[in-house]
Amino acid sequence: MTETIPVMLWSATPDGAIDYCNGRFLEYTGLDAEQLMGRGAFTKVLHPDDLDRTVQAWLSCIRTGAAFQAEVRKFHAADTAYRWCMVNARPLLDEHGRILKWYGTVVDMHDWRQAQEELRHTQEKLAYMMRVTTMGELTASIAHEVNQPLSGIMTNAGTCLRMLAADPPDVAGACETARRTIRDAHRASDVIARLRALFTGKELTTESMDLNDATREVIALSISDLQRHRVMLRTELADDLPLITANRVQLQQVILNLLRNASDAMAGVDDGRRQLLIRTARDDGDRVRLTVQDVGVGLEAHVMDKLFQAFYTTKSSGMGIGLSVSRSIIEKHGGRLWAEPNDGPGATFAFSIPRVPERTADAAGAVRNS
Amino acid sequence: MVQRSLVSVVDDDQSVRESLPDLLRHFGFAVQAFSSAEAFLASEFVSLTKCLILDVALVGMSGPDLQRELIRRRQAIPTVFITAHGDTSVRSRLLALGATECLFKPFSDDALLDALTKALGTRSTCEP
Repeated sequence: MTETIPVMLWSATPDGAIDYCNGRFLEYTGLDAEQLMGRGAFTKVLHPDDLDRTVQAWLSCIRTGAAFQAEVRKFHAADTAYRWCMVNARPLLDEHGRILKWYGTVVDMHDWRQAQEELRHTQEKLAYMMRVTTMGELTASIAHEVNQPLSGIMTNAGTCLRMLAADPPDVAGACETARRTIRDAHRASDVIARLRALFTGKELTTESMDLNDATREVIALSISDLQRHRVMLRTELADDLPLITANRVQLQQVILNLLRNASDAMAGVDDGRRQLLIRTARDDGDRVRLTVQDVGVGLEAHVMDKLFQAFYTTKSSGMGIGLSVSRSIIEKHGGRLWAEPNDGPGATFAFSIPRVPERTADAAGAVRNS
Repeated sequence: MVQRSLVSVVDDDQSVRESLPDLLRHFGFAVQAFSSAEAFLASEFVSLTKCLILDVALVGMSGPDLQRELIRRRQAIPTVFITAHGDTSVRSRLLALGATECLFKPFSDDALLDALTKALGTRSTCEP
């Protein structure tokens, strides 16, 4: 029977010396029985890179009587190459639990494994494509942010030239347009500087920080903007918020972005009703949460999916860098950024991040150990 | 200068609202600037406007929405769209919907003047 079963079979003595290989095994390896018998003989057919771990595992099984299993590259005579195989062995025990004999199988799983590799490769390619797509969308939004001030620069400079070329020249007007040209150029370079700050350094540099303080700073920065847009801001910052380990500037960019989006979303709401609520809270699982709730245009079901992919449907003046970037910042912190329509008018955007992001904890550990 | 045709600018970007009117006035037009489509519709200048310079991606009612609304009200105005999302497919779609021109930000003053001339259906009398 052992010669008819379409599997490579073998057996070994209790101390691990091979004492039997079936015909398929011999045929596969191209060796004869004598070459394969004995202690350590099977190492002849293993790929050198797999040798150590396989021998260690086998010796340990011989000591403990545990079932042996290993994925190894085994020499295949027919195409004089190593192929991936799954080796299994189980001990036959006597009534006292002593090993009488080992019985084992070898299954060639090379093709299956290669299919798996290919699958993984395809998945990687797909993930890359998705990153590139997101980058493409990001590029579109960057182009938008930069084109706005560029447009101002071009128009102002053109006007300036025409004012100077007029007879008589309008010097005062030309000065004013030149001033505006400079201001818009600053605006454009601010966009670039912020983007650079955002994307330089793949590692997340973090500090211990108070989310409430960071939020208050953002509010202080945007209060005049909010007042100009007649937005009434209410805050509910939790008293018991723990300190978090995070990148302060990046989180503030996210908060600012959410504030501006909320303010923009309420542009069409009657004066006196533009209410914005910012709330911080402890979240389950050692996390903190920040919520921005507006009473603006709200979210229609069909935009929910696209919301974070790109932001060219909403238009933020200045340094708004969009929800796609905000989400990647939050995800870099091991957190989640999401949006939901309110029961009443408007929408709520929120993020929840762990008090200490996992990866940063690792990085900190690595630094301490080095 | 024969007359000062009214050109209305609708753009939520402040630098556009500051810079374009100066240039347009220099071209010899009368100018009104609005930060939203809603503000323009609510103004007294809708029926007086000879040409609309309209941003595409406005917060609230979008540029194309405003154009449609004006057509619905039988108050269609020759429109030059401007957009910071330079995309040729957007341009051809807008032209197909009846826009006179669609300029990608940043655009030159000459390109703007050409578009205005086309929109007003006259050779410009205002070229300095």
